Amino acid sequence: MDLLTTAVATVESGGEPYTLVEVAGEADVTNCDALREVLEAEVAKQPRTMIIDLSGLRFMDSSALHVILRANRTMDRQGGVLALASPREPVAKMLRLTAADQLIPVYASVREATAG
Amino acid sequence: MADSAVLARPFRHVGFLYRTEADYAATVAGFLHDGLAAGDPCFAAIPPARISLVRDALSADADQVEFADMTQLGLNPARIIPRVAAFAGKHAGRRVRYVGEPIWAARSAAELREATRHEALINLAFADADADILCPYDTAGLAPAVIDDAMRTHPMLLSDGGHGASPMYAVPFRIPSSCSRPLPVPPHDAMSHTYRTDLSEVRALVLKHARDAGLTDARANDLVLAVSEVAANTLRHTQSQGTLTIWQDPGELVCEIHDEGTITDPLVGRRRPAPDALGGHGLWLVYQVCDLVELRSDEIGTTIRMHMAIQPPPAGE
Repeated sequence: MDLLTTAVATVESGGEPYTLVEVAGEADVTNCDALREVLEAEVAKQPRTMIIDLSGLRFMDSSALHVILRANRTMDRQGGVLALASPREPVAKMLRLTAADQLIPVYASVREATAG
Repeated sequence: MADSAVLARPFRHVGFLYRTEADYAATVAGFLHDGLAAGDPCFAAIPPARISLVRDALSADADQVEFADMTQLGLNPARIIPRVAAFAGKHAGRRVRYVGEPIWAARSAAELREATRHEALINLAFADADADILCPYDTAGLAPAVIDDAMRTHPMLLSDGGHGASPMYAVPFRIPSSCSRPLPVPPHDAMSHTYRTDLSEVRALVLKHARDAGLTDARANDLVLAVSEVAANTLRHTQSQGTLTIWQDPGELVCEIHDEGTITDPLVGRRRPAPDALGGHGLWLVYQVCDLVELRSDEIGTTIRMHMAIQPPPAGE
């Protein structure tokens, strides 16, 4: 079984399409390049909104965080918005301690992220 | 102002050796009062009983001073410098006053080593800062060796009303040898595991031992994050394997990572990375989540020992 799995979908919410990336498993220095490739490919399509669903992510280290921060920079530059949805508590705490949650909006659910 | 650089006073770091509560209250309150009179923002991180003492002595002025409970903030002394830097940053362009008392008699030997290291690192971290720092030491309660180290880590000393340069202050900068000696050897029955590529297994081992030891889920996950961040450095920065060692000491679980990497920056992990920084989060996180961290590094390798109390300490900030 892969340590890290990702699934990408384009979803509509109120007539607005957004990119939904589900990240599950454990994201660390050993697989953050794979995560980077997935995120970069989606960011390159210049979506207005990209939501990363973290509900299936049991662990994230700072290497994986840096991949997300990098995607956020590019989204910012393109005028798009990146949001994170439903992190489990260990991941949510890491986002708080690094203050990444002050840079990237974090929502309790994908539904809230689409509304936000 | 064009001549502000000329007017700026240098960074001062004074070890205040006190014997009585009356001396403590009068000197610390006097230091803070002088700062307030000069318009300097003041911050005091001292144990709770000392906060009451200083508040009483300052009376109405007390509300202008920011206080923090050092037994929480400084539980892991590596968290103090970023907190003081944040206070100075909040008042950028102004001289600030800070009273820091990270060393008290009840601290363990490992805590005293790290608190002494922190005191030495103040000199590096704030060398160019516009700051007056006063660090009280209880000469009645602390061992003479601890006071000797205070004389090594403070350029200036204040005792019995007398002010002067510390003859023992180490120039150029040096960490006192008492806190850079090799760490005590782990017990012979400690669990040992080597890794080169699989950090998931490292995390699973830490989680299992943390749960078996009785850590809460949240603190078990904190320790998992810390160990994983340190082990990730083995993969990033070395060509060889790393070793994870886990054991219990009275009241705490200890996880240690040893590898062939070398860490040269003595302030690593003690500066808050910018939120969008694409590096520098690893040891920052380790220091934020662990109760105490000991680090030894030379050209042969690095050992990072992470301590977690089985019973959670009182909630932090």
